[in-house]
Amino acid sequence: MNSIMYDTYTIFWRELKRYKKSRSGVLIRLIQPAIWIIVVGNIFSETQPLIQSVGFEGEYIEFMAPGVIILTAIFTSIFGGVNTLWDRRYGFMNKALTSPISRSAIALGKMAAISLIAALQASLIIGIALAIGVTFPNPLMIIPIMGIVILFSLGFSGISVSLAATAKSQETFWGMINLLGMPLFMLSPALFPLELLPNWLAVIAKLNPVTYTVLLVRELMTGVSEGGVPIWISIAVLFGFVVAMVAVTSYVFTREVNKPF
Amino acid sequence: MYSIETKSLTKSFGDLTAVNDVSFSVEKGEIFGFLGPNGAGKSTTMMIFTTLLKPTSGKALIAGFDVMKDAKHVRENIGFVQQETTVDEYLTGRENLLLQAKLNHIPKNEINKRIDEVLELIELSDKQHQAVVTYSGGMRKRLDIAGGLLHHPKVLFLDEPTVGLDIQTRRKIWQYIKKIHIEFDMTIFLTTHYMEEADNLCDRIGIIDGGKIQVIDSPQNMKNALGNEIISLVIENNDNHDLFLAELNKIEFIKKINDENLKLILFTSNGTEVIPKIFQISSDLGIKIVTLSLTQPTLDDVFISYTGHEIRDDKSKFNRKIEHAKMKRLRA
Repeated sequence: MNSIMYDTYTIFWRELKRYKKSRSGVLIRLIQPAIWIIVVGNIFSETQPLIQSVGFEGEYIEFMAPGVIILTAIFTSIFGGVNTLWDRRYGFMNKALTSPISRSAIALGKMAAISLIAALQASLIIGIALAIGVTFPNPLMIIPIMGIVILFSLGFSGISVSLAATAKSQETFWGMINLLGMPLFMLSPALFPLELLPNWLAVIAKLNPVTYTVLLVRELMTGVSEGGVPIWISIAVLFGFVVAMVAVTSYVFTREVNKPF
Repeated sequence: MYSIETKSLTKSFGDLTAVNDVSFSVEKGEIFGFLGPNGAGKSTTMMIFTTLLKPTSGKALIAGFDVMKDAKHVRENIGFVQQETTVDEYLTGRENLLLQAKLNHIPKNEINKRIDEVLELIELSDKQHQAVVTYSGGMRKRLDIAGGLLHHPKVLFLDEPTVGLDIQTRRKIWQYIKKIHIEFDMTIFLTTHYMEEADNLCDRIGIIDGGKIQVIDSPQNMKNALGNEIISLVIENNDNHDLFLAELNKIEFIKKINDENLKLILFTSNGTEVIPKIFQISSDLGIKIVTLSLTQPTLDDVFISYTGHEIRDDKSKFNRKIEHAKMKRLRA
């Protein structure tokens, strides 16, 4: 157990080192969520009456800001696994696989690093939100919000790492990522309240872990609980999702990297 | 105890047998080279030894541990330097070694000492804080090799250690490999398709072709077995070709004849005495000799004598299939 922690930290350290040296990517990856919050936030500002009809008193942009924070987390973590493919192509993976560290530790170290990077990106988006006038009733709530983003990204990056380990080519990987990323975001109350979704869509949305994460962040940020989901259920779903993803990713990753590439 | 021991090792990919019933052993402290063309099965064998591939059948023991049943212990006792340089370009030289040290569970209080030690050995101490992206190809390779021996493995695997490097750099790498061998008393197993490299570094060589080991011996013995001279001659097509060969075989100094249609390669001693006899026979049979040359044998000739083709000759169907399978695996 001790050794798996140490090994996980080794990979985590390496991933962060690499991230630090490729800083130009940080700003580029902020552009998309920034566009969402600034452009979409203003385009839909007239939908305020709809939002108010489900008991939300603020501006539309305040309603969707939590959604964009989670959007940032979704895309940072779902793209994050791509370097697994590079690692296999350029030999780092074989180097790690022929050393005594466990296969699971490689996957977990990557996931931990991706989740920290996602949290960093999300915190920059919170900064942008504050700058364009979104307010926090209680600024201390930023701390649990960051905790939720880290947890959520840890789970979500598992999807990316598993896919990257399974996919033999970049094309397959990016295809799968596009297939998953946007729908998971859209099928959640990130942009519109759960109550306003048609029934069949609401049912699908309730199967989506993104939904519960958005609800949690929105509740902490605005103080409004919405969608009729108690907070403890959201927390339980989030933890369940993370535990499941850690287990699934360890299993899938170990199985896949043991096959010849 | 042997450092490497294999029994009937076989690896098939579908209907393609990349490694075919290979059995041999490598003594502790030896530099052993696998020599063969691309697709001969060298890399596949090495991937089995380093636990990256499971053999289809047969057995391989590395430092006494079974690669199938005891992969973890094998990994603790080996260093593996891959064909492609795998150092992280964005990290500095020292950071790369630090990563390698952590991957191999070197005790914390030992790490810095070990890193300083190998940096000195490969003469990169002064460049250690520069990002690897600024290093030349040879420097990267040296760093990669250093990473492989940081944890003092019992067996060091080098897969084509100098492929793609210029000749000066190649010689330099050879020097480092020899230095490592002396300093750490490691068993070194390397693959190469450079004759000169095998000749220069290895105590013993296994020639592998088509997934099978053709011969294992020291480079010197291999060359001696061919006699000390080689006569190559090109003749014109003639009905008496077979008779000509039979007559040549009767010359006592000729040890072996390779018949490549109109090009004959005679492994011989006393070449200067043999040549007049060849002319005598050819004129008796009415065979016209186009060219004739007398050379010293090289490992190249050894290779040809065992495999029937040159090492660069990748035209056989078998090789193309393996290459295809390899490319499929590498496709990213």
